[in-house]
Amino acid sequence: MTLQHFMDTYALDLLRAIFVHLGYVILCVSIGTVIALVLAVLLTRIPKISRFIMPVLSVLQTIPGIVFIGILFLYTGMRPRTVIIALSIYAIFPVLKNAYSGILHVDDKYREAARGCGMSQWQMLFSVEFPLAMPSIFVGIRMTTIYLVSWTVLAAMIGQGGLGEFIYRGVGTNDNRLILMGAIPAALMAIGLGALLDKIQKKLTPRGMREPEQSTQQSQLNAQEGEI
Amino acid sequence: MIEYRDVVKSYGGKPVVKGINLTIQEGEFVILIGPSGCGKTTTLKMLNRLIPMDSGDILINGKSIKEQEPELLRRNIGYVIQQIGLFPNMTVEQNITVVPRMLKWDKERRRERAKELLALVDMDYDTYAHKYPNELSGGQQQRIGVLRALAAEPPIVLMDEPFGALDPITRDSLQDEIKDLQKRLNKTVIFVTHDMNEAIKLADRIVFMCDGKILQAASPEEMLRSPADDIIREFMGKHVQRVHMEDELTCSDIMRHRVATISPQRRTLECVELMSQREVNSLIVVDDDRTYLGIVAIEDIKDRGVAGETICPLIRTDVPCVETGQHAKEAFRLLMDMKADYVVVVTPDKKLAGIVTKSSMSKAMASALWGEG
Ligand SMILES: Nc1ncnc2c1ncn2[C@@H]1O[C@H](COP(=O)(O)OP(=O)(O)O)[C@@H](O)[C@H]1O
Ligand SMILES: [Mg+2]
Repeated sequence: MTLQHFMDTYALDLLRAIFVHLGYVILCVSIGTVIALVLAVLLTRIPKISRFIMPVLSVLQTIPGIVFIGILFLYTGMRPRTVIIALSIYAIFPVLKNAYSGILHVDDKYREAARGCGMSQWQMLFSVEFPLAMPSIFVGIRMTTIYLVSWTVLAAMIGQGGLGEFIYRGVGTNDNRLILMGAIPAALMAIGLGALLDKIQKKLTPRGMREPEQSTQQSQLNAQEGEI
Repeated sequence: MIEYRDVVKSYGGKPVVKGINLTIQEGEFVILIGPSGCGKTTTLKMLNRLIPMDSGDILINGKSIKEQEPELLRRNIGYVIQQIGLFPNMTVEQNITVVPRMLKWDKERRRERAKELLALVDMDYDTYAHKYPNELSGGQQQRIGVLRALAAEPPIVLMDEPFGALDPITRDSLQDEIKDLQKRLNKTVIFVTHDMNEAIKLADRIVFMCDGKILQAASPEEMLRSPADDIIREFMGKHVQRVHMEDELTCSDIMRHRVATISPQRRTLECVELMSQREVNSLIVVDDDRTYLGIVAIEDIKDRGVAGETICPLIRTDVPCVETGQHAKEAFRLLMDMKADYVVVVTPDKKLAGIVTKSSMSKAMASALWGEG
């Protein structure tokens, strides 16, 4: 089979697999992020429950994906939702960890100022704590996204498509080309999504929170102007 | 009116505020001062319920603060902290209008308010409104911190060592500004400091705290003249740096740095507008490099001004004028002899440095008086 022929045979399958893969990643990262943010808020508001949630999640985290999907499969069957549940749970942890520490590290002076202005807990959360923790939350989302691109390969294990299909088939038939056909787009997807997230973050970060470079110079300049 | 009644607060069984009784009148500038850890911050923060009290009560205009929702209470009490705490994710305008936003003012009204507020501290709306806190100097940041507290026109403003982190020159000019604002807007201000100079300069009444109790509450002059306790005397000795005699003081020691100036090319109408904005009846005329040219007074504009003309022909040069290095006494003598509102202070190369007013004089006299005692 020539390469040309090979591509012709698989092009459509590959395209579909990429879309399915991407769909899983985006969906599961989104679900995981929402759950993670809710948990992070709970953890920072009611520190006592962190003694319970954190260990549970880190144990879940250590179960190999393959085992986890396998077990879940027994209960929820050979359906996309098995994949979605499993991957979403995996997506939670990196975001949660970063969001939690991000919120925890918001300088108390901002909380004091927020409370002094008469903000309620929710107002403080949405207008001060989340925005200030955003860089850290983004690190978590980025990490999760990149992990999930590779974990989604497992979807194919229970016949739910994605780039894993090529990899499993390639391993099964000992065909390196098929393996590469799954692996290369997956790698590119991870790089692409990472770059995309960096762009989004840059766009969302207000000028006042961008890291030093010119902004410190600017403020030094202002300081020198001084006041009479 | 604010009334503290037997207010007590303990932390883990250790009392830190031991029954405070204090009545503060509307429009009064009260300074809480005392050694570190004596309970100033705690006393202040119980008023806006950032710290719950154990027993006693605090009434604002006869109504107990315990009967009010903490959030709603705080929106009616401005609060300025030492660490400034401007929200870095918000622009200057957004920071200033945080409380109005919570009070659901519409956008137009918030913008108007932001403009008004920035004008109060001579910051240009177009230049500063859309900057972020990290693009401002420390002094500018704390000005915005003060404006944020004033935004929803609270009758009461609390300040906890607001200028402690600023350099001395900036601090000095912010002190002038805050005193000026407080008087113009008739706010009740409770201000915590451990700097006796600051207290003397700003306070209508100084409340000296020690170990969770009030040792003395008196006007600056009275506290200087007859400190009620050795601790107070010692504290003042340690903290009042300018206890030289009157004749050791120079004009630059006692002058106000912040003065309303105008350039000679400005037209009469702009000049009148600036005067009404700053609530003054004369402006100091300086050219672009701050060389002192004279003053322009509202009477002259009224009598001889022509709309649309520059103020150049109206500049007066017969105002009393001293140099920075001259004795303060000289400025005082001029003030008294010439019945002037102020004396202009210039540097040796004739640049404007500041002005000496009657209030600078009384402040200096107060410290001199205490220096003798
Ligand atoms: N959250 C707290 N827990 C325990 N002790 C506190 C707390 N806050 C303040 N204190 C203690 O209460 C005393 C008074 O504090 P504070 O009002 O901040 O003093 P000041 O503002 O006069 O320096 C200090 O001894 C301080 O250590
Ligand atoms: Mg304090």
